Amino acid sequence: MNTAAPAATAGSTRTPPVFAMRGVTKVYAMGEVEVHALRGVDLDLHDGEFAVLLGPSGSGKSTLLNILGGLDGPTDGLVTYRGRELSLGGDRALTRYRRRHVGFVFQFYNLIPSLTARENVALVTEIAGDPIAPEDALALVGLKYRLDHFPSQMSGGEQQRVAIARAIAKRPDVLLCDEPTGALDISTGIAVLGALEKVNSELGTTTAVITHNAAISAMADRVISLADGLITSDVRNSTKQPAATIEW
Amino acid sequence: MRALDRKLLRDLWNVRSQVLAIALVVSSGVALLVMAQGVFGSLLTTRDAYYARYAFADVFAGAKRVPNWVEQRIAAIPGVKQVQTRVVVSVSLDVPDVSDPVNGRLISLPDRGRPALNDVALRRGRFLDPDRAEEALVGERFAEAHGLDLGDRLFAVINGRRQPLEIVGVALSPEYVYGIGPGELFPDPKHFGFLWMTRRHLATAFEMEGGFNDVALTLADRSPSLERAAIVELDAILDPYGGLGAIPRADQTSNWYLQNELTQLQNMGLLIPLIFLAVATFLLNVVLRRTVAVQREQIAALKALGYSNLRLGVHYVQWAVVVVALGALIGIGAGLLLAEAMLGMYMEYFRFPLLVYKVSASGILIAVGVSLAAATVGALGAVRSVVSLPPAEAMRPATPETFRVSLFERLGARRWLSQPARMVLRNLSRRPLRAVLSIVGIAFAGAIMVVGWAMMDSMDELLEVQFNIIQRQDLSVSFFEPVERSAVHELAALPGVLQVEPTGAVAARLRNGHLQKQTAIQALAPGARLRRVVDIDYRAIRLDRPGLVLSTVLADQLQVEPGDMLLVEVMEAARPVREVVLTDTVDDLLGVTAYMEQESLQRLVRRDEAMNGAMLRIDRLAEERLYGLLKAMPAVAGVTLRSAALESIRTYMLDNMSMMMSVNLFFALIIAFGVIYNTARISLSETSRELASLRVIGFTRAEISSILLGELGVLTLAAIPLGLLLGYGMITGVMSAFESELFRLPVVVESSTFVVSAAAVLGSMAISAWTVRRKLHDLDLVAVLKTRE
Repeated sequence: MNTAAPAATAGSTRTPPVFAMRGVTKVYAMGEVEVHALRGVDLDLHDGEFAVLLGPSGSGKSTLLNILGGLDGPTDGLVTYRGRELSLGGDRALTRYRRRHVGFVFQFYNLIPSLTARENVALVTEIAGDPIAPEDALALVGLKYRLDHFPSQMSGGEQQRVAIARAIAKRPDVLLCDEPTGALDISTGIAVLGALEKVNSELGTTTAVITHNAAISAMADRVISLADGLITSDVRNSTKQPAATIEW
Repeated sequence: MRALDRKLLRDLWNVRSQVLAIALVVSSGVALLVMAQGVFGSLLTTRDAYYARYAFADVFAGAKRVPNWVEQRIAAIPGVKQVQTRVVVSVSLDVPDVSDPVNGRLISLPDRGRPALNDVALRRGRFLDPDRAEEALVGERFAEAHGLDLGDRLFAVINGRRQPLEIVGVALSPEYVYGIGPGELFPDPKHFGFLWMTRRHLATAFEMEGGFNDVALTLADRSPSLERAAIVELDAILDPYGGLGAIPRADQTSNWYLQNELTQLQNMGLLIPLIFLAVATFLLNVVLRRTVAVQREQIAALKALGYSNLRLGVHYVQWAVVVVALGALIGIGAGLLLAEAMLGMYMEYFRFPLLVYKVSASGILIAVGVSLAAATVGALGAVRSVVSLPPAEAMRPATPETFRVSLFERLGARRWLSQPARMVLRNLSRRPLRAVLSIVGIAFAGAIMVVGWAMMDSMDELLEVQFNIIQRQDLSVSFFEPVERSAVHELAALPGVLQVEPTGAVAARLRNGHLQKQTAIQALAPGARLRRVVDIDYRAIRLDRPGLVLSTVLADQLQVEPGDMLLVEVMEAARPVREVVLTDTVDDLLGVTAYMEQESLQRLVRRDEAMNGAMLRIDRLAEERLYGLLKAMPAVAGVTLRSAALESIRTYMLDNMSMMMSVNLFFALIIAFGVIYNTARISLSETSRELASLRVIGFTRAEISSILLGELGVLTLAAIPLGLLLGYGMITGVMSAFESELFRLPVVVESSTFVVSAAAVLGSMAISAWTVRRKLHDLDLVAVLKTRE
């Protein structure tokens, strides 16, 4: 049995992985058809890593991210977070897990339209243990001057950066981003990626970004490619390219 | 079926619980309307048919004793069509195995043939055999109350002598549809009954041979002028024979109460249904607007496919029409059932030998039509904003909603509020009109509940005041003729009598210009303790000045104020006519009364023996023996128990009003649930994406529930005080609509009523919240990440 990808083996010699997936499968019943979204995935993610999960739509990358984020459980296989099995404990435990350890960034931002930027971040800091002040989190993503704007008063890129500030304000152990630039044009997309890069380097937050945009993989520590429910390659970048220089 | 119609049905099915909630509110309104219409229409038609078939008279008069030949003179009064003379007497009745005092009225039937007027409807048995002196027909309610059957015997106590009566038939009469005894307000068939005897035998027993003491007549037409003229002539003819004053049909006791009830039904049957229909229309509008907003892209696509604005408009109007039609259907069905149940209850109190069931279709059609029209207008308003957009624009998602910091926060509360609390406030203040209407809707539900329970409070108050503060005797005794004061001492000497107070009543007509009222003036001793006159604060008024004290209702009818003079025509003894000053008015609660200090009344009537009754406080242990002794006293015409009066009024109110109230309360709960549930579902649909996002970033189910339900909570909490206030206002209005000569309900709202009403609204909220919360659990967390709204 294949125990780990080569890059993960190298990492595991340093510290235990943040996430470990072993033989994870996921089968959805779509009406009368069974869809095999993941077909036996093994994957370790390590502290501080910036990983890009690359693949076309239908490759299983979103399913993988959902399972890591505690939004969904595997049909079969084992997923551990810092040595604890995620699938145990049910909805209550998963909610607690998301609340304490995971920061999410969504393709469509999912900000609360009735709250200002500062308040959207405060939404999280009010329920977190040791949060960053909302103002500081927003400053980190370059939105120091948009604190009291409502989502409807901001551009898509700005809204996405508020979402990033909201995700990181609780000092999550891991930041999971699902197509964070999917709804943005290049220049705003670059600004958002810059924010992610900054969070990763300054706070050391383990970050996983899923995308079908291969250009983004240039800024990653590690590029994991998926196709048809399987990991097809797992490559460690020798040199990371700054987000600002990426083009697509 | 066309594709668009399929879409209609499936859309409706998808929001079926909301559709049902709205349809139920519509149906509540329609049901109440149908019920009121049905009961009113049926009672009215039944009454008219009954009166016509059994020849209910137009004018009634009583006298002391009129020789038979006078009937010719009465028949000769211009405009008089038919005359029926009778002997009518009040007696004590002795019913086997009944120890309570029972009173009755014996009414004569012609020796041969049916009476020309006020015929009786035979329910069981046969008519009287003129050759048999002991035969009697007995009123149906009285027979039921005592389980009397054909062949059973009872006794009329006539001048202390027991006259046996054998029941050969059970009957009803248009004269006694509402069968109450003299001085009573509510039927008490256990203690008062009507019996019919052959004229010859009744006259013999009461020394009325060759004469009569009661006359009824019909007129060629019922024009007020003819009626007035006939009454004046009749009074003039009967005057030498102790005439007690003729009255028109409108003032005939039973008919008057029946008419009163009909008017009340008509008034009450409209207001509350209208509230329901207004609330339903509002709900329909809100739900439709939301549906149309969600289907914005579908509408654009349909337009792109070539559907016209008109066709799409019709599609959404159909949406509203289906909901209203469903509600109307349920409502008509429920209304008919309720009308039948209500009529059954009415038939207990208003006895008819026939029932014409009649529901006016026009009233129902108007109600359904109005709600359909309102629903259509609402639907069109919702659709217009969308169909007016070019398809390409409509297919893009609507621009994000703009929010502002709410006024409440700007006033300084902001820093005290958590982010979820801010969301709740801003969601509400974004659509202030909707929030206000929701609050008003819920408030109405609360108000209707307050009205329901406050009626009970008022009745309790009325009973408390009437039977603990005003009437404190255990029983009252009436005499056939006015008696000397010494008779009072005789009563006091009876075993078991603790306290006696003489009372007197004199038949009189009160006049102020053209306004007049036939009534009895009650004589009260200045220091009376058992029967008192109390003011609005329930303090006893001392009757120590010569002059009249009138019920405020009566004073208003006669348009007199304290200090004014009234013309009093005494209908007894020497029939003096005097001007008397009105010294005071009292806001009494039951009946209408005129009071006078005892000695002034005696002076007015110009006779010494003005006492024709007495109030007694007795020793409960000796009551049975006492009843027997009283019945055996020749002078005693009747004995009335306070407890029996209290019982009959309590039963009447419980039967009559509690049914109406339960119906209202039930429907109020439907309104409360309908409004709150729909509000919850709408805000769930509007915020489900936000709530799912919050769940994803780590909010617990309880936390997101509290955001959604917080909005409901704010609306409900704002609605409750408004509802209580509104309820208080409504009960005041309802009470004045209920105000009649029969009774005036004091506006009393116990704090428990407010608490219960508020609790019922909160309960509706809890049920709605619980239902919606289950939906929150099913939020698809994954889908929310992948879709935009």
